[in-house]
Amino acid sequence: MAGPDVGWYLIVSAILFGIGALGVMLRRSPLVVLLSLEIMLNAANLILIAFSRQQGNLDGQIFALAVMAVAAAEVAIGLGLIVAMARRRLALDVDQADALRG
Amino acid sequence: MIAGAWICLLSPLAGAVAITLAGTRISRRTAGWIATLATFVAFAGALVAFFGLRGLNPDDREQMSTAYTWLAVGNFKVDMQILLDTLSSTMMLIVSGVGGLIVWYSMGYMAGDDEERRYFAYMSLFVFSMLLLVQAGNFLLMLVGWGLVGLASYLLIGFWHQRAEAVAAAKKAFVMNAFGDATFALGLVLLVWKTGTLTFSGVFDQVGSLDSTIVNLVALGLLGGAVAKSAQIPLHTWLPDAMEGPTPVSALIHAATMVTAGVYLLVRASPIFEAAPDVQHLAAILGAVTLLVAGLVALVQWDIKRVIAYSTMSQIGYMFLAAGLGAYGYAIFHLMTHAFFKALLFMSAGLVIHHLGGEQDIRRMGGLHRAMPKTHVAFLVGTLALTGIPIFAGFWSKDGIISSALATGGSLGWTLYVAALVGAFLTGAYSFRLYFTVFRGPESDFVAAHAHEGHGEGPRSMLIPVGVLTVLATIGGLVVIPGVWEPFLTWIDETAEPLVSPTVAQDYGTSAIAVTLAVIGYYLAHRAFLAGRQLVARPEIWRVLERKFYFDELYDALFYRPAAALSVNLRTNVEEPVIERSLDEIGSGTITVGDEVARAQTGLLRTYAVALAFAVFILVVVFVAVR
Amino acid sequence: MGNVLVWVIWFVAAGACLGTGVAVVSLTNPFYSALALIGNLASLAVLFLLLSAEFLAAAQVLVYAGAVMVMFLFVVAYLGGRADAPWAGGPPLLRAAAIVAAAALLVEVVVVLGLAWGDELTSPADVSTSFGSPAEIGEIFLTDHLLAFEITSIVLLVAAVGGVVLGTTREKEEGA
Repeated sequence: MAGPDVGWYLIVSAILFGIGALGVMLRRSPLVVLLSLEIMLNAANLILIAFSRQQGNLDGQIFALAVMAVAAAEVAIGLGLIVAMARRRLALDVDQADALRG
Repeated sequence: MIAGAWICLLSPLAGAVAITLAGTRISRRTAGWIATLATFVAFAGALVAFFGLRGLNPDDREQMSTAYTWLAVGNFKVDMQILLDTLSSTMMLIVSGVGGLIVWYSMGYMAGDDEERRYFAYMSLFVFSMLLLVQAGNFLLMLVGWGLVGLASYLLIGFWHQRAEAVAAAKKAFVMNAFGDATFALGLVLLVWKTGTLTFSGVFDQVGSLDSTIVNLVALGLLGGAVAKSAQIPLHTWLPDAMEGPTPVSALIHAATMVTAGVYLLVRASPIFEAAPDVQHLAAILGAVTLLVAGLVALVQWDIKRVIAYSTMSQIGYMFLAAGLGAYGYAIFHLMTHAFFKALLFMSAGLVIHHLGGEQDIRRMGGLHRAMPKTHVAFLVGTLALTGIPIFAGFWSKDGIISSALATGGSLGWTLYVAALVGAFLTGAYSFRLYFTVFRGPESDFVAAHAHEGHGEGPRSMLIPVGVLTVLATIGGLVVIPGVWEPFLTWIDETAEPLVSPTVAQDYGTSAIAVTLAVIGYYLAHRAFLAGRQLVARPEIWRVLERKFYFDELYDALFYRPAAALSVNLRTNVEEPVIERSLDEIGSGTITVGDEVARAQTGLLRTYAVALAFAVFILVVVFVAVR
Repeated sequence: MGNVLVWVIWFVAAGACLGTGVAVVSLTNPFYSALALIGNLASLAVLFLLLSAEFLAAAQVLVYAGAVMVMFLFVVAYLGGRADAPWAGGPPLLRAAAIVAAAALLVEVVVVLGLAWGDELTSPADVSTSFGSPAEIGEIFLTDHLLAFEITSIVLLVAAVGGVVLGTTREKEEGA
C-alpha cells in the first residue's frame, strides 16, 4: 500500500527528536528528563525503520531492535540512579546536582 | 732579529699573565720586579730587532712575520702578523725603553700600596698592548692594540677605585676613546669593503685607485680615532681628568706612549692621508688649535700634574701639526724627545708629590730647590728641553716641526707657522711659571713642615730612572743636527717619506725666532713670579682659561644631559609602566581570563545538554557536508 | 480507497505521536508525563505497522510500553513525583539557547538528510509480504547480525547487574 514517503516520516521524526531535546534541556525533574530521552530514542527508531522500508533492507529494523534493548537497559540504570538519589534524601532537581561547578 | 721582535711583543704579556696567575703567592715587590724585568727584556728584544734591521739593506728593511691566520672569510684574510720596519722598531725602542724606566720607577712610587700586584699586572698589560699597536702588521691587529691600550688606560686611571673622581675620570677617558675607536673601526669597514684587505701593503697599494670620497671618509675615520687617543681638540677633555691615576701611569700612558699612538697612526697610514690631503691638513689644523688652547689653559692651572698634562696636549699638537704637513720624520722625532722630557717632568713631579706626602697643589709649594736638589736639576732639565732651549732635546725636534710649517708655505703653512711660534712662547711661559712656583722662592710653610721627614728625595728605584731620563733629555736630540747629520730622519724616511723638508737656513732661522720667544716667555714668567702675581691678570680671561674654554660644560650640555634625561624618561615612561606592569598584567590577566572561562563550568546538567546539542549540530554539518 | 485509509491512519498516528510528545515535555506532574509517553509509544507502534515492521511494532508495545513504562510508573509512584514548576530556574538564556539548539537540530536533520539523499527518498522499494516478519528478523539476527544479538544480550545482563548493585547498597547507606 502506498502511503506517505520517507520524507514525511523524516519530518515527523525530526520534530519528535526536537521535542525530546527540548525536554532534556529544559525540565528540572530527572524523571521527566529520562522520559524525554526516551522520546529522542524513539524518534531515531522511527526514522531507522522508515529508511529500512524505503531501501528494502532489514538492517534498519535490526538496528532499531538493538536500540530498543539498549534503551531499556539505560532506563533501568537511570531509574536506579534516581531511586538512589531519593534514598539519600537529595532533592530530585537536576539543577541541584552541581558538584561539577567550577 | 724577528725573534727579537716577537720577544719584545710577548715578554710583557708573559709578565702580566705571570703576575695575574701568581696572585698573592708572590710578594708585592716580586710583582714589581717581574713587570720591570719583563719590560727590560722587551727592550732587549727591541734592541736586537733594531740592530738586526740596521744590518740589512735599506730595501729589505720591511720584515713581516706571521704567526698564524687569525681569521679568513672568503677572500678576506687577517693574519696575526707583526711588521718590523724602521718606524716600528723606533717605536718599539721608545715604548719598551721609556716604559721599562717608568715601571722601575713605579716600584718605588707605589711601594706600600695594598694592590701593587694589580698595578704591575696592568702596567705589563699596557706595555704589551702598546707594543702590539706599534708592531701590528695590519690595521685590524692595530685596532686590537688600540682597544687594549684604551682598556689598560681605563684600568690604570681608575686604579684607586675607592676615589669617585678616579672612577669618573676612567669612565670619561674610556667613553671618549670609544668614540674614536668607533670612527677608526668604521674607517676600517670602508677599507675592507672597497679594498678587500686590511694589511698595510695591501691597502696602500690600492689607495690610489679608490674614489676620493671613500678615501676621505677612511682618513676621517682614522683621524677621529687618532684625535680621541691623542687628546686633541675636540676630544681632549679626558686627559686632564686622567691625572687622577698614579703619577707613573700619567708618565707612561698619558705622556710618553699611549697618547702618541695617534701620531703613530697618522705616520703609519700616511699613504691614506696623502691621498686625502684635506683631511691631512685638518689634522695639522687641529694640532695647531690644540697647541694654542692647551698652552693657554696651562697658564692658569694650580695642580702640578694638570699643568704637565696640558703641556702634553700642547706638544702632541705639535706632532699632529708635523704629521699633518707631511713632516713624518720630525713628528716621530718629537715623539721620541717628548717621551724623554715629558716622562722626566712627570717623574720629577712624582718625586715632589711623594716627598710632600701626596700634595699636588702648587700654591702650597715653593723653594723646593733646597730640599730636593736632584729633583730640582731633573725638573729644570725637563723644562729646558720642553721649552726648546738649545742643546736640549726639545730644541732639535720642535724647531724642526716649526720650520717644516715654514717650508710648506702657502696660507696654511704661514698660519701654522705663526701658531707654532706663539705656542713656543706659551710653552716657555707656563713651563717656567710652574718651575718658579714649585722650586724657587722661599720655602712655603707646607714644604717646611714636610721637609723634615728625612727620608731623602726618594728611593733608588725612583732616582735612577729619573737620572737616566735627565741624560736622555739632554743629549737625546743630538741625533738630528740639521746640516750636519740627520740619521734619525733618514731612518724614518725609509718608511714614511716626508712631503716637506725644511732647508738648513729655514731651520736655524726658525730656531732663532722660537728660542727668542721662549726666552721672552721665561722672562715674563720670572718677572711675574718675582712680583708675586699671575701671568694672566684680567679676571675674565682667567675665568675662561680656568674653565678650559668651557669644553666640559659644553659636552655636558650637549651629550650627557640629553642622554641622562632620555634614560630617566625611558625608565619612568617605558620601563615601569610598560615592562614591569606588563609582567604583573600577565599574571593578573591570566587569572582574570581563567575566571571568565571557569564560568562555563556551571555544574548544571542542563547547560551541558545544551552544549551537547549544539556540538552535535555542528558535527553533523561537518560530517555530512564534507562527505 | 486503501490509499486514503493509509493516509488517514498516518495522520492520526503522527498527530497523536507529536501531541503526546509535547504533553510529555510540558506536563508538570511526572505521572501524567509517563502516561503521555505510553500514548506516544502506542502511536509509534501504529506507524511501525504502516512501515511493514510488524515484529518491531509488537516488540515496542510489549517491551517498551509494557515493561519499561511500567518500571517508570513504579518509580514515579514510589517517589511521589514532586510537581515543581517545570520551566523555572537555570541560568539566564538557557531557555532561549535550548530552543535554538533544538530548532537547529530539527532543521538540520531535515535539510541535511533531504539534501543528501533527496533523489532517493521518493520511491520505496518493493518488498515481499514477509518483510519485517519475525521469521525474517530472527533469521537475520542469527546469521548476519549475530554479533549485535550477542552484544545486546550482554548489555541487558549488565543492566540487570547494575540495577541490582544500585538497589542493594541500602544497608550501608542507612548505617553511615
